[in-house]
Amino acid sequence: MAALKPLLYVFVYPGLLFLFAYGTFCEWFDRKVYARLQNRMGPTHTGRWGLLQPVADFVKLMAKEDVVPEKADKGLFTALPVVGLAVVATAMLLVPVWHVSPTASGFNSFSGDIIVLLYLLSLPTLIFFLAGWSSTNLFSTVGGTRVLTMLFGYEVPLFLAVLSPALLAGSWRLAEIAAFYQARPLLLLVNLPAFAISLVCVQAKLERTPFDIPHAETEIVGGTFTEFSGKKLAFFRLMTDIELVVSSGLLATVFLGGFPGGVGWGFVQFILKTLFIIFLLSLMRAATSRIRVDQVVSFAWRFLAPAAVGQLLLVILLKGFMP
Amino acid sequence: MKVQIPIGPQHPALKEPIGLRMTVEGEVIHDADLRLGYNHRGVEKVAEGRSYIQNLYLTERICGICSHSHSTTFAQGAEILFEIVPPKRGQFLRYLVSELERVHSHLLWLGVAGHEAGFDSFFMYVWRDREIVMDILEMISGNRVHYAINTIGGVRRDIDEAQRTKILDLLAVLRARTSFYLNLGTTEPSFVGRLAGVGYLSKEDAMSLCAVGPTARASNVPRDVRKDDPYGIYDEVPFEVCTADTCDVLGRTVVRIKEVLQSYDIMEYLLRNLPAGPVAVKAPRRPKPGEIVSRYEAPRGENIHYIKSNGTDKPERLKVRAPTLGNYAATIAMLKKGFIADIPLIFAAIDPCICCAERSVELVDSRSGRPSVVRWSELRRMAGRRAARDSKKRNVEWPL
Amino acid sequence: MDRIRGLLGERILEMTNPAVRRIFLTLAPQDLVWALGRLKADMGYWHLSTISGVDLGDAFEFLYHLTDDLPGSLHVRTRTPKAEARIPSICSVIPGAVLYEREVQEMFGVVVENIPDNRRLLLSDDWPDGQHPLRKDWKHVRPEEKIPGGKS
Repeated sequence: MAALKPLLYVFVYPGLLFLFAYGTFCEWFDRKVYARLQNRMGPTHTGRWGLLQPVADFVKLMAKEDVVPEKADKGLFTALPVVGLAVVATAMLLVPVWHVSPTASGFNSFSGDIIVLLYLLSLPTLIFFLAGWSSTNLFSTVGGTRVLTMLFGYEVPLFLAVLSPALLAGSWRLAEIAAFYQARPLLLLVNLPAFAISLVCVQAKLERTPFDIPHAETEIVGGTFTEFSGKKLAFFRLMTDIELVVSSGLLATVFLGGFPGGVGWGFVQFILKTLFIIFLLSLMRAATSRIRVDQVVSFAWRFLAPAAVGQLLLVILLKGFMP
Repeated sequence: MKVQIPIGPQHPALKEPIGLRMTVEGEVIHDADLRLGYNHRGVEKVAEGRSYIQNLYLTERICGICSHSHSTTFAQGAEILFEIVPPKRGQFLRYLVSELERVHSHLLWLGVAGHEAGFDSFFMYVWRDREIVMDILEMISGNRVHYAINTIGGVRRDIDEAQRTKILDLLAVLRARTSFYLNLGTTEPSFVGRLAGVGYLSKEDAMSLCAVGPTARASNVPRDVRKDDPYGIYDEVPFEVCTADTCDVLGRTVVRIKEVLQSYDIMEYLLRNLPAGPVAVKAPRRPKPGEIVSRYEAPRGENIHYIKSNGTDKPERLKVRAPTLGNYAATIAMLKKGFIADIPLIFAAIDPCICCAERSVELVDSRSGRPSVVRWSELRRMAGRRAARDSKKRNVEWPL
Repeated sequence: MDRIRGLLGERILEMTNPAVRRIFLTLAPQDLVWALGRLKADMGYWHLSTISGVDLGDAFEFLYHLTDDLPGSLHVRTRTPKAEARIPSICSVIPGAVLYEREVQEMFGVVVENIPDNRRLLLSDDWPDGQHPLRKDWKHVRPEEKIPGGKS
C-alpha cells in the first residue's frame, strides 16, 4: 500500500488523470466565462453544456496530421511538447493538496518547495521560446523573442509577490505557509496587493490577453506555435491548461490559505479556490485589450515591481512588530 | 539583423488578400512594400460591355461592405447623363440607406479594430449592435449586404409609416449604445494605450499623399465630399464634418464614432422630414453622349466614378476609384518606424477594402494560366524537384 | 474659372464647365507638370483623386481628377497618341500619384516618364509583357480549361 501511494499521486490524484480532467474542465470554465462576458454562448454542443469540448479538441488534434518543418531541429521540436507537459505535471505534485501533511516532509513537500515550484513554472516560458526558435519560422522566431522579452518583465514582480507571504509566514514550505494562514486568516488581507500583482503576472505567464503577445494572431499568425500541429499542438494546449491549474493552485495556496480538511473537503476547497482565481483571470482577459511588448516591460518595471517591493517592505515591517 | 516578414496575401490580420512585405529589425519596421492584385475581377473592363442598368448591379458588387456607395455613385452619374432627376422621396430613401451603410461599416470597423488590438470583448459587443443596423437595412431593402435598392431615377422600394417609426426607435437604441462605446473606446486604459500615438500621419503628409476619408480627417484635414461637393440632399441636411488632431489610430477611432453619431442625426432628419410622393422616375434607355464625374463620400472616403457615354446603351468607359486605393500611399508612410505589433492596427485603421481597390483587371487565371497540360504525376515530380531545389537555397526571399 | 485662365494663360487648349462644380481643362502633356504645380501652389489643388484613362482609338486620353478645399473639382485632360504613348510623371508635384501612375502604366501600356517606381501594381507576376487589358483592342481569351490527370 505504501508503495502504491506515490504511484497513485503520480497517475491519479493529483497526477496525470486528475490533471487532464481538471485542466480540460478549467479550459471549459475559462472559455465559458469569457464567452458569457462577451455576450456569446461559448461551447454548448459537446457533452452537457459543452463540458467535453476541450477533450474533443484534444482528441481531434491528436488525430491530426503531424508536420515537422524541414529546416527545424527535429529532435528538439519533437521533445519540447512532451518535456513541457512533464514539467507542469511535476509542478502539480508540489501543490499541497491532500497527499501532503503539514508536519512531515517527503518527496513532494520539503522546505524550499515554493522556489522549486516557481522554477518549474518558469520552465514553460523557456520551452515556448525554444519551440519558437527551433521551428525556424519567421513568425515563430518573432514570437520566441517576445516570450523572452516578456519574461524579463513579469518574472521578478511575480517572485517578489509570491515570496512576501512566505516571508510573513516564515517558511519556505508551501504546506507550512498554508497552515500558517489557516491559523491566522486575517493576515491574508495584508497580502492582497501581492495577490493582485501575482494575478497580473500569472496572466502574463500564461500568455493570455492582455499579454497574449507571443501568439498574437493578428500580428504574427500563430506566434511560437505557428509550425506546431497535430499531437504536438495538442500537448502544448494541454500543457497550457495544466499550467493554468498549477498556477492558480499556487496562488490559492499562498494567498487564499491552502486546502485544509482532508480528502473530501480539501478537494472541494481546491476546486472552489482555483475556479475563483481562474474566474478573476478570465475577467481580466475579457476586460482588456492586448498591449505591446515594450509596454509590458515598462508596465511591469514601472508599476508591478515597485508595488511588489513595497509589499515586501510592508511584510518585513509587520514581521518586526509581530510577537 | 534585418528580416523580411511577409504579411499576406493570407494572414489572420487581413480580412482580404493583399501582399505586404515588411523589413524589420527586432520589433521595429524599417521599410514596407505593397503588392496588389490578388483580388482582381476586371470590373472596369466588364462594365464596357454591359448596359447601364446592368452596370448598376455590377458596381454594387465591387464591394461587399460599401456596396450601396458604389451603386449610388454610379446612379448619380448616370442620372445626369440621362438628364433625369430622381424625386425627393426617392433621394431621401437613397441617402437614408447611405447613412445606414456608413453606420454599419463604421461599427464593423470598430469591431475589427478591437479585434486587431486583441480586445475581443469590444469586438463582440459592437458587432452585436451592428446587427440592429443590418436588421433595419433588411427591413428597408429586403437584403442584408447587397441592398440593390438603387435604380437609375430613384429607388426601388418604399417604406411605410410603421417602418418609419420602427427605424426611429431602433436609432434611439443605437445612439445610446454608441455613446457608451465612444466613452469606452476613449477611456479604457489598455485600449487607449494601444491606439494612441500609433500610425502617426502628419497633416502635411496626409495632404501630399492624397489620403481620403476618416484617415485624412483624423489628421485634421476637413475633407468630406458631403460638405465640399454636396450631392443629392446633403446641401439641405445639417451635419458637421468630424475631425481629430491626434493624427493616430486613436484619432481615427474617435472620428469614426463621432461620424456614426452624426449619421444618426442625419437619418433622424431624413425620416422626420420624409416627403410624400413617388420614389422613382422612369429612365430612358440611352443617354446622350457626354462624360461625367460623380463623387460620393463612402464610409472609407471619397468614391469617384468617371463615366463616359457614347450614345449607346453601354458606357464607353467607367473608371472607378475606391477610397482604399487612395489611402495606400499614406499607409506605407504610416507603417515605417512602427512596431510589428502595430501593423494590423495601422493597416486596419484605413479600413481597407481590398476588393474595392482592386477591381480593374480581367483575370487570366493568374497562377496556372500557362497553356500547358500537366499530368498529375508530372506535377508531383515538379513539386518534388522544386522542394529539393528550394531547401538548398538559404535565405530565400519571399516570392512576392 | 477665370482664376485658372489667368494662372495658366495661353497653355489652356480648352476649358469647359459641363455640370455644376465640375471644370474640365485640356492641356498638352508637356505642360502638365508645370500646370499642376501652379494649380497646387496658387489655388490649393493638392489632392489628386485618381487618373482615368480612356482609349479613343488612335490616342489615349488621361484625366487627372483634382480637388481642393473649394467646392467642386477640376479635371485636367491630356492626350497622347497611341503609337508613341508617353506622359510625364507628376510625382514631383503630388507624391501620392504614384499608385495611379503605376496602374495607368500597366493597364494602357503608356510610358510614364520619370516615375519613381515602375514595378507592376495590379497584374500578376506571370502576366505577359505587351498585354494591356484596358485598351479597346485587347480581347480576353479564356485559356481552355484542362483538368490535370483527367481525360484529355
